[in-house]
Amino acid sequence: MAKYYDIDDILTEEEFAPVLFHKPANGVTIDPSAETNSVEQGAKVELPFWLAHELHLRQAVSIYLPACFDQKTRLEIQADAACVDLRSRCPYFYELGCKLQPLVTDRTIGILLSTAFKIRYKERLTKVFTATHLTASKFLPFLTIEEANLYEAANLSMTAFKKWRTGGPRFQRASILGRKRKES
Amino acid sequence: MAGQTDPHISLFSPQEVEFMAEDEMVEIVPNMNMDPLNFIAGDYGRFVPQIPTQVPLWLAVALKRRGKCTFRPPAWLSVDNLTQVLEAEREPQSKFQPLPSGYIEIARLLFDHARDDIPDMYMVKSLVEDIRDVRLHKLETNLGTFGADTTAVKMNNVSAMEVNLVRPFVIRALEAFYKHDKPERDADRDARSSSSSSSRQPPREANNEPRRPLRQR
Repeated sequence: MAKYYDIDDILTEEEFAPVLFHKPANGVTIDPSAETNSVEQGAKVELPFWLAHELHLRQAVSIYLPACFDQKTRLEIQADAACVDLRSRCPYFYELGCKLQPLVTDRTIGILLSTAFKIRYKERLTKVFTATHLTASKFLPFLTIEEANLYEAANLSMTAFKKWRTGGPRFQRASILGRKRKES
Repeated sequence: MAGQTDPHISLFSPQEVEFMAEDEMVEIVPNMNMDPLNFIAGDYGRFVPQIPTQVPLWLAVALKRRGKCTFRPPAWLSVDNLTQVLEAEREPQSKFQPLPSGYIEIARLLFDHARDDIPDMYMVKSLVEDIRDVRLHKLETNLGTFGADTTAVKMNNVSAMEVNLVRPFVIRALEAFYKHDKPERDADRDARSSSSSSSRQPPREANNEPRRPLRQR
């Protein structure tokens, strides 16, 4: 599993997803509002995705879409995808959607993700090369982690290019020579 | 994907691209006598005063800094040629104009070291900057046209520095598009194959950021 050690993958699976229990579970303190240490059949609980996924494989639960994919977000994306603040909803919006897609009965997630990504990519991320630093970075807090990766890739190469363009010494002093040795 | 979280995905720094661009041959006019120089890269012939000689750019810059030659500006670095190229670039929907692959690096090196050898230097400098800006904008709009069906990207006449600029971005963007639009494409393919006319779309043409020919020794 190539992504087992990938930190972004681990954090993605930490996001909560609501599930509906088909079988009762004993000895677990998942539901904070329950008095006893168990979950009854038919109870709706928020579980982290990795747990929900495992239980789903054992057919103990069925998964629903988390709040970040609800109707409100969909309407906002339809209205103007480029300005939606996805990071506050869910910083791993796209990854979580991709993982949920085979597990949930809702077939429209894939299209929602791809349209949102396409529009945001075109409006925001391609502008990094020519826009000034201020305009491009204004929307940085709205981007999900994945989009921020793209932004950073473009930004790094752009700043390196600008720095090269303004010139500078061709040879740099090696850092190992920096410290002066004390004459003993 | 490993590439997504790798912070050092940029493979070449601008200095390295400049280093590779210095292999271009330029014409100089030496002002001293010197025997042929033997390098690993090749032999560069007798230097006789006032006789133009072809040498690589790195050697030309080294000689110039010691005051042993003057540059002859290359043919593409004239005001007329650059104005023409700029007009052609500014046409809407135009492709990239053919320019030497290392034009940004060569221009910068010549401006730094050989100011007096280029006629109308400031004009040429501003023209090169304008061309660079227009091409960058064009590159950017081109990037915006990626979609689910972008299996490969082909752009002609993009210079080495421009390619290096967008390389990490394009890699990650294509990965992201592949990941996100895959279900849409699969759904499309299912829908299409289930209908009666099931002719597959021919695969897109081969990927090519323009390849620089390896130097023959």
